[in-house]
Amino acid sequence: MRVRVLAAAAVAVLTMAATTSCGGSADDSGAVTLKLGFYAAAGDPADTTMRQLVKEFEAANPSIKVQLEVAPYVKFFERLRTQIAGNQAPQVWLSDGVLVQEFAARGALADLSDRVKSVNAADYSGIELNRDAQGRVFGFPQGAQTPVLFYNKKMFAEAKVAEPTAEWTYDDLAAAAKKLTKDTNGDGKPDVYGFRAYSPGFTESWWPIVKAFGGDIVTDGGRKVVIDSPQSTAGLDWMLGAMGKDGFAPDYVTTEAMGKGVVHTLFATGRVAMSYGIYARTLPAQSAGVDFGVAPLPKGPSGRGNVAIVNSWVVSKAASPAQNDAAWKWITFFSGEGPQRKWAELGEAIPINKKVATTALAPDRGPVFLESLDAATDLGTNAVWSEYTEALAKRMNEALSGATPVAAALQSGQKEAQEVIDRFYAGKTQ
Amino acid sequence: MTLLARRTGQVAAEQRPPAGKRHAGERLWAFAFASPYLLHLVALAAWPLLASLFFSMTEYDLMSSPRFVGFGNFTRLFEDPVFWRTLGNTAYFAVLFVPVQTALALALAIALNQRLRGMALFRAAYFVPVVSSWVVVAYVADAVFNPQTGIANQVLGLFGLPAENWLQDPALVIPTLAAVAVWKGVGYMMVLFLAGLQAIPEERYEAAKIDGASAWNRFRYITLPGISGTTFLVLVLTSIETLQSFEQVFVMTEGGPHGASELTVLYLYRQGFQFFQMGYASAIAWVLFVLVLALTLVQFRLQRRWVHYA
Repeated sequence: MRVRVLAAAAVAVLTMAATTSCGGSADDSGAVTLKLGFYAAAGDPADTTMRQLVKEFEAANPSIKVQLEVAPYVKFFERLRTQIAGNQAPQVWLSDGVLVQEFAARGALADLSDRVKSVNAADYSGIELNRDAQGRVFGFPQGAQTPVLFYNKKMFAEAKVAEPTAEWTYDDLAAAAKKLTKDTNGDGKPDVYGFRAYSPGFTESWWPIVKAFGGDIVTDGGRKVVIDSPQSTAGLDWMLGAMGKDGFAPDYVTTEAMGKGVVHTLFATGRVAMSYGIYARTLPAQSAGVDFGVAPLPKGPSGRGNVAIVNSWVVSKAASPAQNDAAWKWITFFSGEGPQRKWAELGEAIPINKKVATTALAPDRGPVFLESLDAATDLGTNAVWSEYTEALAKRMNEALSGATPVAAALQSGQKEAQEVIDRFYAGKTQ
Repeated sequence: MTLLARRTGQVAAEQRPPAGKRHAGERLWAFAFASPYLLHLVALAAWPLLASLFFSMTEYDLMSSPRFVGFGNFTRLFEDPVFWRTLGNTAYFAVLFVPVQTALALALAIALNQRLRGMALFRAAYFVPVVSSWVVVAYVADAVFNPQTGIANQVLGLFGLPAENWLQDPALVIPTLAAVAVWKGVGYMMVLFLAGLQAIPEERYEAAKIDGASAWNRFRYITLPGISGTTFLVLVLTSIETLQSFEQVFVMTEGGPHGASELTVLYLYRQGFQFFQMGYASAIAWVLFVLVLALTLVQFRLQRRWVHYA
């Protein structure tokens, strides 16, 4: 008898747990619960703004109840993977732009291609950058990042160097950077540099430089690694010259040491006069009180090498039809003028709503970012982006630190990155 | 039944319940008392362990169903140069860390085992890094080993020696990490040694002194054998801890420069949680488990030769 009671209790508990875990579908009244995930540190302004926007969304859509799931970046994506495995993932979440295809290729995301057709694509930036090799769209832009050339106006004025223009080439950049490099404490070594060339964040370092010199990283819809080329060599040689014989950029070790793990702060702390930086870098520069401007990336032999990352809202494939509808309502709400304007006030990302972007960004910097975004290609995203770029970056950093000759690093980087891609696609039909 | 029999609990056989029933009752009670631990073991240890063994033979990205690949992950693992490099890095780290930490912990324990005023303060001071998080320790380590601003290079400069790139030089990064790990962990092992030292009867030292034994001989023939059990424990714990090292490199170097400090568990973490290869990560975990088990068994086998239990 006791055993039966225990068994019944266990079944009841399991049923309740199962019911709870499946919560969120539309009930008889048509109400739907939508679990929405995004990454932000607790108490971060982004966290506060997002919560306000969710309240506004719920007020405008009384039949949708939003449950928020927030965590700092690394924790968010670690947890997300196990949540997806346990069928507990949010129905809509903010994805780092470079991870959209990773999740999509593993069947975790709903195809938004048809949804996207319902909006006027010309009103938004970044939709095309989210399109995969088969033309499908699995994410809708939330905010965009693209690197431009940041420069310290005060340092330029003090050194009596003309500020960068849209016509600058890599030679112009080098010439100005040499004049801006200084040994302020007289120890025989520079302590203020004209330019920051190396960064572990390659979006602001070797990636656009390789492209500007005519090289490329991956082609064929992210299937073929092609970085081992004379053009890539030329780009890396330019960087090595900047950090070596020309001496206008801190070398690999000095950059790491000066940046103490946050290399991009070298510009905000006045250790370099120029640096490639994405839109989010305006925040630390402003906080530090730096009087700065931005200019388009300099022209290389093959253009500027503009690239972009478009962080995007994605919808879980496991979402019910009602949740899918609610998720799309949230996405269109967030992309609207009001929410985009509020999000733009944070200064973290370029608004993807073009109307907002043209009016909400600082008039002296906004157009540079927007033109760069328009000209940008994606960051070689594919199903194994994290893994293949890590394999590649390891070899590139070896070359940039002088530990390995450029030719050997490019050769092994290409081979190892290609192996990662081939391993994933082996046996897959697409 | 006699009073004596009652007092001693020796109930006459004919009054006792049948042996089978009695044992069954005892077993039930034993099971009831052990059940919280057993539940914990099954739910949080045995089940995940078996699951990871299954996943190690699959291709599993967490999002789609696992696909059985037999020993494919293990074959790939043995052909993976990065895995072997991480294993080499881990072994190098262990070779530096285990003996240095053990010797230093023993030396500190002996020094702090004196009956002097304020000794508790010193013991506490050595224990502080143990309870500090690796994030905090990473900041302290940067203050010491930063090539631009660190104290270590300033000290070298005082002796006219060239500055070093402690954490940025592939040749120096593991020794530097080992030094930091010793600094953080030595206090804990020191406490274990202190407990071992204080368990050695004072009379043995007094007798040896009367017999004219020198300080070295007292250490060699009384202290070392007296704490051999503790030394064995410290060696086993430190070896296992080293093979499982993750947090330190994750926070301090992320495996750099160029993978020179990428330890096996960091590699496992990346494969499983960054690259969606849970099957491959499980295979790494099992190979690591076998290595830890083998090392521990060897240590247990060897301890018969040198460990003396009083």
